[in-house]
Amino acid sequence: MPHLHDGLLLRSPADVDPAGLWVEDVPAASTSAAAERRRATELSRPALDSRRVLLRYDDGETDLVVVTRREISVSTAAGPVWGLGDGSGPTSRLDAIDETGDETGWLVALLVTLQRYDPESAPVVGTPRGAFSADLTGPVRAVRLVPTDQPAAVGLLFCENRVEGEYLPCLAPPFPLTVSVYHDDRGPRLRLDHSAALVAPEIAEQFARHLRLVHRQVLRRRDAEVADVLLMDDNEVLRVAELGRPAPPPIPTASTIHAAFQRVALSTPDSIAVTDGTDQLSYRALDERSDVVARSLRAHGVRDGDRVGVCLDRSTSFVVTALAILKAGATYVPMDPAHPADRRNYTAEDAGLTLVVTPEIVLPQEESVLGDADGDTAAYIIYTSGSTGRPKGVVVPHRNVIALLDATRDEYELRPGDVWTWFHSSAFDFSVWEIWGCLLTGGRLVVVPHAVSREPDAFRDLLKSERVTVLSQTPSAFAQLLSVDHADLAVRLVVFGGEPLDARILLRWFDRHPETRCRVVNMFGITETTVHVTAQTVTRADALAGSRSVGPALPGWHLYVLDASGRLVPPGVAGEICVGGAGVAAGYFRREELTAQRFLPDPFRPGVLYRSGDLGRLRPDGRLDHLGRIDNQVKIRGFRIELDEIRSVLLEDPRVSAATVVVRRDDPGDAASARIDGYVVLIEPADTREIRERAARILPDHMVPSTITALSELPLTVNGKIDQERLPHPAPAPSVVDSTPTGDELADQLRTIWSTVLGVPVEIDDDFFELGGNSLYAVRIGAAMRAEGLPTVRLRELYRHPTVRGVASAVRGS
Amino acid sequence: MRLTGKVVLVTGAARGLGRAIAVRCAQEGADLVLSDVCADVGGVPYPLGSRSQLDHTAKLCRHEGSAVLVEETDVRSGESVRRMVASAIDRFGQIDVVVNNAGIAAPSGRPVHGITEDEWSLMIDVDLTGAWRVMREVAEGMCERRRGSIINVASTAGLVGYRHFAGYVAAKHGIVGLTKAAALDYAPMKVRVNAVCPGSVRDVPEFEGAMLAEIARALEVPVHEHEKTFVEAQPMNALIEPDDVAAAVVYLASDDAKQVTGSMLTVDGGFSAR
Ligand SMILES: NC(=O)c1ccc[n+]([C@@H]2O[C@H](COP(=O)([O-])OP(=O)(O)OC[C@H]3O[C@@H](n4cnc5c(N)ncnc54)[C@H](O)[C@@H]3O)[C@@H](O)[C@H]2O)c1
Repeated sequence: MPHLHDGLLLRSPADVDPAGLWVEDVPAASTSAAAERRRATELSRPALDSRRVLLRYDDGETDLVVVTRREISVSTAAGPVWGLGDGSGPTSRLDAIDETGDETGWLVALLVTLQRYDPESAPVVGTPRGAFSADLTGPVRAVRLVPTDQPAAVGLLFCENRVEGEYLPCLAPPFPLTVSVYHDDRGPRLRLDHSAALVAPEIAEQFARHLRLVHRQVLRRRDAEVADVLLMDDNEVLRVAELGRPAPPPIPTASTIHAAFQRVALSTPDSIAVTDGTDQLSYRALDERSDVVARSLRAHGVRDGDRVGVCLDRSTSFVVTALAILKAGATYVPMDPAHPADRRNYTAEDAGLTLVVTPEIVLPQEESVLGDADGDTAAYIIYTSGSTGRPKGVVVPHRNVIALLDATRDEYELRPGDVWTWFHSSAFDFSVWEIWGCLLTGGRLVVVPHAVSREPDAFRDLLKSERVTVLSQTPSAFAQLLSVDHADLAVRLVVFGGEPLDARILLRWFDRHPETRCRVVNMFGITETTVHVTAQTVTRADALAGSRSVGPALPGWHLYVLDASGRLVPPGVAGEICVGGAGVAAGYFRREELTAQRFLPDPFRPGVLYRSGDLGRLRPDGRLDHLGRIDNQVKIRGFRIELDEIRSVLLEDPRVSAATVVVRRDDPGDAASARIDGYVVLIEPADTREIRERAARILPDHMVPSTITALSELPLTVNGKIDQERLPHPAPAPSVVDSTPTGDELADQLRTIWSTVLGVPVEIDDDFFELGGNSLYAVRIGAAMRAEGLPTVRLRELYRHPTVRGVASAVRGS
Repeated sequence: MRLTGKVVLVTGAARGLGRAIAVRCAQEGADLVLSDVCADVGGVPYPLGSRSQLDHTAKLCRHEGSAVLVEETDVRSGESVRRMVASAIDRFGQIDVVVNNAGIAAPSGRPVHGITEDEWSLMIDVDLTGAWRVMREVAEGMCERRRGSIINVASTAGLVGYRHFAGYVAAKHGIVGLTKAAALDYAPMKVRVNAVCPGSVRDVPEFEGAMLAEIARALEVPVHEHEKTFVEAQPMNALIEPDDVAAAVVYLASDDAKQVTGSMLTVDGGFSAR
């Protein structure tokens, strides 16, 4: 008669009445396939009630099968977030342990382990007696268990008694992850049961290992601080550190961008390097022209290491100028002419520019020697939003860009014959990839003019007519392209970057462009690590599963995920993504303190580590899952914005005494509906529209709040932080209330379309942008108009006349 | 593993029932020839299976350990079907099982007199003649080898009528007739011909099925309402899962069904028993 685990598995003593035990003889040896099948059937039969069956095999072995109702558990939380499960069905693993100890010891060990796995939530462990939590500050010996009603994702079944045969706690483990500690005839056992749909087998394995290590410390290092308990031993730490570096760095093929360029120019001098409408330049012409400009820059006083601004639209001239600056030994600082003058002035001042190249500037045509640069020389400085309230310049040396190309050239077969688009603002570092990715591999760079980049049909036409093969896009821009017919394109490689990708949008793309003909790669990257860090080829299976993986690090780059105290966390556990290796920038320009905060010595290898402020976790196979920003830096439609920066601009307004900004999505599943709402407390009565207008003069478009609401005070939480939940939803922009039909049939039809798409009532003179409109909505309105058989209006037209009245007259005019 | 060593050809395998059938056959140990039109067909008011979807089905089957040949085939073209069968013989040397699954549900949604000549022809061409074309190409080889199982995916629409679906109903009744006649033709050669008649099948996201939604659209009713109507109409009070149909196909394909030919196996939750 086996010992039953009284009160452990089963809720009440009545349930463990031995009369309920079924003894069955199995006419086969315990190791045979027939026995296996017998056990499996026993387990797969639904348990309407608790059920225990003792299987007796031919060879004298026995198995005790305990099948338990699922409801036996105390309230069970959904599976743990770090579980990474994607299989299905119940799985279990069994480990020998040194001693069973007591239940309290295991509960404390579980709570401590869980806290490390998920520091954001208070750990709860379920038992058949109810769930427990604990305050985990202070030393181990001081931890006191506290009963709680909170649901538990992890449960403990503890049994001091010996259990014979195979111990199967239950059909469906009562908790998503069930830990059982018991004794069988071979000694003390630690058993983990979990459904593979919730917890991957690799994660379960490491969890068991970590739990054992923590348990040992709970028993032996009672005076240690809980915060100092270790999850991993030294060997494991080294193994996890290696996990984020799947490939060794390639050998550099050049030292500077212009040297690499010249090598390409020598091998394919007559190929076209850049196309801008009817304007085009061959590699030879680009090389020669940039030489001339480089010499005049030198003659103009530009010296090695100087910084030169480039305030030009995307064009052949931009490319000539940037290359010339590099050849002159200087660093180019892109300044988007579309940004407000204030922002450009700030950049010019902060970067200490020697010179800003604008379309008007005339450089002296003089002979002069070229400059001197090597791999460590800064190639460019790109300004990104800073948490200090003002943008900061990221200094990126030549060798980083060379390393980026060396890491990708072979894998993505980047080569002459490819046609690349240059779609993104030169002040956004995705353009570094577009420009130099193309020109250092012999491709042809097609400039996408600003107006075309905002109009999906026009952009599609350009992709078609130029036979573009390599397309780099933010997912938001790509979603616009998907909204128009995109069947007939020559694109063979799509590279995503700049914001998180919802892989599901790709199903429609794959239907037109199968993976065998067009490879789709999602890259995660940061300006401070030279455009990209990881790459994941996305397949239909990923799209169907809505995968969040951004892939393993590029060869030469490596990743660590660290907790708040800078310790490496195990796979599956979320922490700050830190990036080391070939892409790490030289730092922030003239911001030593900030540089020292974000760029730290790499604890495992020579070199520097960049702390991204992004939340992520490594998968057991070394791929990274990107989970968003840690602080409140956010992205809207591909643009990185720092809410603090917007807030500080609002606060600079003399009429404002307090301000806060939040990002909201009207429809949580729809990135297009994201908008920034500003809230201010006014010193004197003022029109919030004027406050918004002032902010719009300073901030780039994508950072201007859609609404500003005046409040008498900002709601705070008990901790004194602004309580976002209690900020009221902004009132829609006031409009002339006149919902009666205008009598103009076309205008009424348009009003209906607008209000359906925008989700707000629309009047004939309401401003599209004030109603929360943006380019994605504009595309949807276009589609809805097409569907109703109305002539389509070019986006430009909508931007020019952003009211129903304006669009109606444009429709009539067409 | 009930299909070990058998080569199964599935048409319309990009998604939906075709994908479910292919994966189930792979799990049963079969090697597979997977085909689909991989293009939109003029006159069909919804997108058909794509190459990427077909490749994904193939990947799922390879995952189960099967050898898979992928073919882009339009069952409206005799030439295209001939090429598919020739490549299959080239690759595997034999075809043991054919599942005629490719089909369209619309253009539909109108009474008999509202159907145009082109719409009628298109429906019959894909849903009835398509199956005949494939049978014509494979039958001889099967007869020579004295073995083979042909499974036509018909529908409850092959047994009863549905309002405003005359073309589809006629084609599916046609398939049922073709199945019976062919069963008699080939019985002496030990080649079996059967039909499965699924009821209303749920569009399962992982299989990317689209038929239920498209039928609802043809009838201009919201999908959930349409689903509800069918759940109520099917005595088991549930929609059919693609896997239920796949299991029936596996049975007819396997040697377990060696005396079964000329039969209509309904998988309709009791719908046609009323
Ligand atoms: N889904 C249901 O409720 C249901 C019920 C009864 C019967 N059926 C039948 O099951 C079969 C599969 O339907 P489904 O639900 O998977 O639909 P589906 O539309 O998801 O799949 C049908 C597949 O057939 C392919 N196809 C269509 N025309 C083709 C052609 N000319 N040549 C080659 N391939 C072609 C399509 O590309 C598509 O991949 C059909 O014959 C259908 O009539 C479906």
